[in-house]
Amino acid sequence: MTDLKLPSAMNSLRGSLADFVAQGQKRAPYFSVLLSDRHSLEILVNNREERVTERPPHAGTVLSAFDGATMRERAIAGFDRDKVNAAMQELVSGVSFAKYAPPASPSRRGDFVTPMQSDPSALSVQEKLDRVREMQHFAKGLDPRIVNCQMVYRESNEYSVFANQNTDVAQRVLRVVLYMFVFVAGEDGQVRYNWQSKGATGGWEQSQFSEEEMRKVIDGAVALLSAERIEPGEYQIITAPGVSGVIAHESFGHGVETDMFLKERAKAAHFIDKVVGSPLVNIYDDPSLPGAYGSFFFDDEGMTTGPTQIVENGLFRRGITDFYSAAALGIPRSSNGRRQDYSRKAYARMSNTFFGAGISSLDDMLAQVDHGIYLDKWSSGMEDPKGWGIQVTCHYGHEIKGGKITERVFAPIGISGYVPDVLGSVTAVSNQFKLDPGGCGKGHKELVAVSSGGPHLLMKARLG
Amino acid sequence: MMLQKIIEALKARNELSGWSVRHNVTREAQVYLIGQKMEAQRLTGEENFRIEVFRQKTDSDGNAGMGTGEITLLPDGNVAEAIDTASLVAGLVSNPVYTLPAPAAIPDVPLLDEIVSRDPLGALDGVTRDMLAAASKLDDARLTSAEAFAEIQTVRHVNSRGVDAEQTSSSVSMEFVLQAKKGEQEVESFRELTRRRVSDLNIESEITRNARFTRDLLEAGAPPAWQGPVVMRNNLLATFVAGDYLSPGVLQSLGSAALKYAKGSSWEVGQSVFRGEVSGDPFTVWANRAIPYGITSNRFDLEGLPAQRVELIRDNKVVTFAASQRYADYLNLPPTGAFGGVELPAGKWETASLLEEPYVEIALFSWFNPDNITGDFSSEIRLGYLVENGVRKPFRGGQLVGNFLDALANVRWSKETGFLGHYLGPTTARFGNLKVAGE
Repeated sequence: MTDLKLPSAMNSLRGSLADFVAQGQKRAPYFSVLLSDRHSLEILVNNREERVTERPPHAGTVLSAFDGATMRERAIAGFDRDKVNAAMQELVSGVSFAKYAPPASPSRRGDFVTPMQSDPSALSVQEKLDRVREMQHFAKGLDPRIVNCQMVYRESNEYSVFANQNTDVAQRVLRVVLYMFVFVAGEDGQVRYNWQSKGATGGWEQSQFSEEEMRKVIDGAVALLSAERIEPGEYQIITAPGVSGVIAHESFGHGVETDMFLKERAKAAHFIDKVVGSPLVNIYDDPSLPGAYGSFFFDDEGMTTGPTQIVENGLFRRGITDFYSAAALGIPRSSNGRRQDYSRKAYARMSNTFFGAGISSLDDMLAQVDHGIYLDKWSSGMEDPKGWGIQVTCHYGHEIKGGKITERVFAPIGISGYVPDVLGSVTAVSNQFKLDPGGCGKGHKELVAVSSGGPHLLMKARLG
Repeated sequence: MMLQKIIEALKARNELSGWSVRHNVTREAQVYLIGQKMEAQRLTGEENFRIEVFRQKTDSDGNAGMGTGEITLLPDGNVAEAIDTASLVAGLVSNPVYTLPAPAAIPDVPLLDEIVSRDPLGALDGVTRDMLAAASKLDDARLTSAEAFAEIQTVRHVNSRGVDAEQTSSSVSMEFVLQAKKGEQEVESFRELTRRRVSDLNIESEITRNARFTRDLLEAGAPPAWQGPVVMRNNLLATFVAGDYLSPGVLQSLGSAALKYAKGSSWEVGQSVFRGEVSGDPFTVWANRAIPYGITSNRFDLEGLPAQRVELIRDNKVVTFAASQRYADYLNLPPTGAFGGVELPAGKWETASLLEEPYVEIALFSWFNPDNITGDFSSEIRLGYLVENGVRKPFRGGQLVGNFLDALANVRWSKETGFLGHYLGPTTARFGNLKVAGE
């Protein structure tokens, strides 16, 4: 039996979940219980101060009752058996549930824990602080133009237990992420900055930047001191893996969350098995990807994880689902029912979303560009599931001239266009593959840990 | 009582030079609609105690330093263990010394809607009913989904210097999607907003305004290539000036003492915020935490500092920075506390005079998300209008490209003002020279 080291109150309530499910199901056609405890530690060191913060935890119990039409839930802080019992009585009493037969699901049982070489909980805060100080001290000395260098380490522990009639599963997911921010000052006093993040599900062994990675962050910030604004227009572009990932995330990530199908907000609903990109385009969402920052073992609705191929050789195949939207649409579930924390509703949400790798080398791709832009780093993106417009902003990009990346830098750069047009213009996909860690909201809320990425892509888009 | 137990335990710790505790209690109702049907209804609650402890220390060179440790305790958590952990952490880190806020008069900023306080779920029933009623009056757009949230939060803040303050606030949020169809073409508009009072949501007018945008999206053409006057109004102007209330804007970032201390802000007290000549109206800003029912207002902030209305920029020049006690001490500034809302004075122009043709008006962005350090932006336009020769022609797509501070150096503000949640100020602005990257 895997030792999850569940928090004691959660572990103690776990033994009662079968009873709660049995009682709840006497009234509600479908009943489930989720115990969720999420807490994290953050260590920040910069040139002028340092902080160690235990970020506010979210720990509570979610009781869900469903009759095929409405999902009714009570979310209770903590794991007190009496409080949970009282909430359950309140939830199922006085409600007239419709008759409903939930879809059959296989029995799911098991305890899962993120594989890691070195469990951060076995290390002292002093050891972690010393590592972060050491990295920060090294990085700040790499260039005299640095006016501040900030190193941030964050570890997040997510413990979940889920039970319904056929399911009894528990997991501990550990995410670690490192951020490096650099501020540099130009001769005119103007400040420019750059950053890099590196994250994984895994242990302490993941928390290290190499000197090469640090220098790249600094070089990016220094280059921005002489950056120009780009002349708006259509360009041949090559996207770095992180930029490719944001395009996947905003277009065929948010755009295929099937709760959006139910709300008639997704244009993709009308494109199943239709062409949405060039035959070189493959897009996946995979919460089971080992070590990726957005990975987990089962979602917040008890569904064990596996990959979903969203776009296959340019054809849109299927979306990603939560329990409610799959039930309402009568489509197979994928393991994407996720909550920000116990106090929030579950929606269809992404995990690790990426373009599949191709066969081209980056050098071969560059050789195909006489005049274009290499988009190095993304800074933000926004979905448009109904209109399929792309809104991705890049922190900076480099000019490509005669098949070579030059020193000329443009910043910031907005990418816009119609998704099928942009993806339809993909003419080469690199054999390199990389994922960036990040946070994803639904609109402006419901933040969950995700990653996005893929290979380099060669295509055409409007920049401004 | 848990709070008292924590306070007694903190007082008994000799190694601590100071401490604060914040007791947070939240209850919330949530309703989700698909069309007219309820998809989900949720009731949720949360309670915790945020503890911060401080330890003084002296380094090997005899310099005074200070360490802080923070931890959050859930009800029934182990108090002694939590304080041990926080104290241990405070012993590990070392920063320049700063003080805790001392007791001071706390202003009575209105923050609570009694309707929400009495019955959050009942308040939401009213919100969703009003949304559906307003949408039912539309003949060429329909509401396809909506969400609504009502929250009551009570905070009590106590520190070792004698601050003991309490506030209860409400917030109510709604978001809705309106769609319209013409032949095979379908379009939508999305709107989300938060206020402290249900009455400030102005549900019917929000639905009506967004229905107009939705209809115009059906008629929208390709974006023009444009360089010249650009008009912004109401909610969009509030977002441009004050950011999204969940992701603060350029003013909050560059005007922050924390960023100044981190050397991320190039602003200097007494110097202009603009890098070139100012050809528009002079720019004055208050960071105001005392706006009645403002969504970023409070009676006291996370450190316990009372709400203030702080003049941040006067006639283009920085007066001070929004400074927590910590960064005020570090930078030798007056402590103002958290930024709060953005307040601008009324302009001198009648709105009609700001609408001299030709101009472009931006109605909806995909997301206005400027670089908060440089002010540069390149934001996709979801709906705009080219207004010339008496014709108001909608367009979609393209990008508004520019720099936030350069834009403010060449702007005229309306006399008419309004309250828009986290913004209080002119409701129309005409920017003299912005670029639309169109076709």
